[in-house]
Amino acid sequence: MSSELLRIQGITKKYGPNTVLEDVSFTINSGEVVGLLGDNGAGKSTLVKIMSGVVPATSGSYFWESKEIQNVNRQKTEELGVETIFQDSALVPQMTISRNIFMGRELTNKLGIMKTKKMDEIASEVLDTVVTIEGIKSPRQLVQSLSGGQAQAVAIARAVFFKRSLLILDEPTSALAVRATEALLDYLRQLKSEGVSSVLVTHNLHHAYAVCDRHIVMNHGKKILDVAREDTTVEELTAAVVGGVEGLRLFRESAKK
Amino acid sequence: MPEKESPKGDQHVLTAPLATEALTTARKQKGRPTDFMGAVRYELQFIRGRGAFEISIITGVLVLCYIVASIINPSDFAFLDPYNLSGVISQSIPVLAILSIAAGVLMISGEYDLSLGPALTLNAIAFIRGAEAYGLWFGIFAAIASGVVVALVNGLIVVFTKIPSFIATLGMSFFWAGASIFLNGTNAAMLVNSRSDLMVFLFAQDFGTFRSQLIWLVIVGILSWIFLHRHRMGNHIFAVGGNAAAAKAISINPIKVKLLSYAFFGALVGLASILIAVRTSSIQPGGTATADFTLFAIAAAVVGGTSLNGGKGSIIGMIVGAALIELIKNGLLLGHAPGFYITLFVGVTIVIAAVFNKLMEGKAA
Repeated sequence: MSSELLRIQGITKKYGPNTVLEDVSFTINSGEVVGLLGDNGAGKSTLVKIMSGVVPATSGSYFWESKEIQNVNRQKTEELGVETIFQDSALVPQMTISRNIFMGRELTNKLGIMKTKKMDEIASEVLDTVVTIEGIKSPRQLVQSLSGGQAQAVAIARAVFFKRSLLILDEPTSALAVRATEALLDYLRQLKSEGVSSVLVTHNLHHAYAVCDRHIVMNHGKKILDVAREDTTVEELTAAVVGGVEGLRLFRESAKK
Repeated sequence: MPEKESPKGDQHVLTAPLATEALTTARKQKGRPTDFMGAVRYELQFIRGRGAFEISIITGVLVLCYIVASIINPSDFAFLDPYNLSGVISQSIPVLAILSIAAGVLMISGEYDLSLGPALTLNAIAFIRGAEAYGLWFGIFAAIASGVVVALVNGLIVVFTKIPSFIATLGMSFFWAGASIFLNGTNAAMLVNSRSDLMVFLFAQDFGTFRSQLIWLVIVGILSWIFLHRHRMGNHIFAVGGNAAAAKAISINPIKVKLLSYAFFGALVGLASILIAVRTSSIQPGGTATADFTLFAIAAAVVGGTSLNGGKGSIIGMIVGAALIELIKNGLLLGHAPGFYITLFVGVTIVIAAVFNKLMEGKAA
C-alpha cells in the first residue's frame, strides 16, 4: 500500500477569540488525490495555508514522511516539495510561459545570468510532455494571452516538472469553462500516475468525486468526514457539506430505511 | 542522469530527467520557421505589443525626418550640427535616460519614488562637498552612497508601513528637499578647487559630436539590460511587480526584491547627480532645477512602454522613451517653436505615447 506523505495532527488555529480550525487531523498518502470539501467558512483556506506553511498553526503537529517538522514555514515546505496553486494567482501574467515555469528557480551560471535559450527549450518540452496542453504555440508567449485553463495547466506542469511531491489546488475549477475543467481533472489523474499526491480544495462535489480517491469534509472548522471514494456517494458528501454533522446523521438514517 | 544546473545545488533546482539528450534533441521549439522571413515574422510576434518596439520605430522615423530636414536646410534646422549633437543631444538624453532606467526598473517592481528630484539635489551636494573636501573619488562614492541611502530609506518606509509608495515618497520628497538645505545651508554648493581635468573628462568631456555622458549611458544601459533581462534578480523584479502573490507562493521574498529595486534606483540617481553636478558646477539646495526630472523620468519610462502597474517594461524602451522626449524638445527648439509653452507640446506627446502603448498592450502575444 502507498506510504504516508503528509500527516497533520490536532491542528487548531485561532485568530484572536475566533477558533477557525479545531483539532483537525488527517493523512495524505503518496500518489493519492484527496478532495478537501466544505462550504464557505468551513476552514478550508486556513487549512491550505497551514499545509503550505504560509500561516503557522496555533497548536498541532506536522509530519512529513512520518518525521515531525518543527516550526513549519514556507521555506521548509518548499524544500519538502509542497506547492500550492492558488486560483488565478499562480502565474505572473506579464511574463512569458518559460519565465513563469522557471520563476524563482532560474537556470543560471555562476554569476546568476539566466540561460534563457535552455530555459525556453526545456519549457517547450515541458509543455509537450509533462502535461498535454492544447493551443500553446511557444514558451515565449505571455501568460496573459492564455486562457484560464491553459494557465492553470502551465502552473501544474511547473509543479510536476520540479518534482513537487504534494500539490494543493485551491478552488482550481471555479473559474474554468466545462471543457477546461475536464482537462484539469485529467491532469490530476496524470499526476497520480506520476506518483504525485494532490489535494483538491473545492466546493464542487461533482468535480471532486470524479477524481479523488478520498474525501475529507470540513464543517465549521472541524473534520466531520474522512472517507474513501468507494465507501461514499455524491449524495452522502452533499449531505455532509450542506448539513454538517446533523445533515450527515439524517442522511445515514434515511439511507438505512 | 539528472543534470545539476544551479551553483547553489538547491533542492528545488532542476533535477527532473528532462535535460537528457533524447529529450533536448527531440524537438526544439515547435512551429519555429526555418526560412529567413518566416523567422523574422516569428520573432516579431513576441516583440510586438511589449512596449519598446513600436516606440523605437516612431523615434527612428522622427530622427530620419530630422536628418532629412537638417540636410535640406542646415541653417534653419541645425539638427546635425556638431554643437547640437554634442551640446544638446548628448548632454540631455543620457541624464534623462539613466533616470528613466532608474524609475522604470522601480516601476516594474511595482513601486514609485517621487523624491527623485530632491534626491538628485541632495546627492549632487554630497558629490560636490565630498569632492571639495576629500577629492574626486570620495565625491563619487559620496554621491552614490547618498543616492542608495536616500532610496533605501524611502524603500524601507514603503515596504514596512505598506503605505502606497506614491504617497510615502511624495512626502519624503519634501523631507529630502529640506534635508539638502539643512546639510548645506542656503548657499549654492560649488565645484571650485576639485574641478579637475580628470573629473571633466570622466563626466562632461566634449568629444566633438558626443560627450562623456553618452558613454555612461551606454555602460549603464548594457549593465542594466543584463541585470533586468538576463539576471535572475531581474526576473524576480518582474515577478514581484507582475504578481507578488505568485512570486511569494514560489518563495521569492517581495520585500527583498523591492528593496533591491530601490537600491538600484538610488545608485543610478547618484550617478545622474554626478553628471548634472559636473556639468553645471553648482547646485542650489532646495532648488527647483532638478524637480522636473521626477516626472520626466517616469514619463520617459511610460513612453517607452513601462507599465504604471508594474511587471512590464524594458531597458531599451526606457532609453528610447527618454530619447524621444528630448528629441521632441530639441526639434521644437530648432524649429523655432515659442519657448514659453514648449512643455505644452511635450505634454501632448507623452499622453499620445501612453495611449498608444495602451492600445498596443492588447496585441501582445
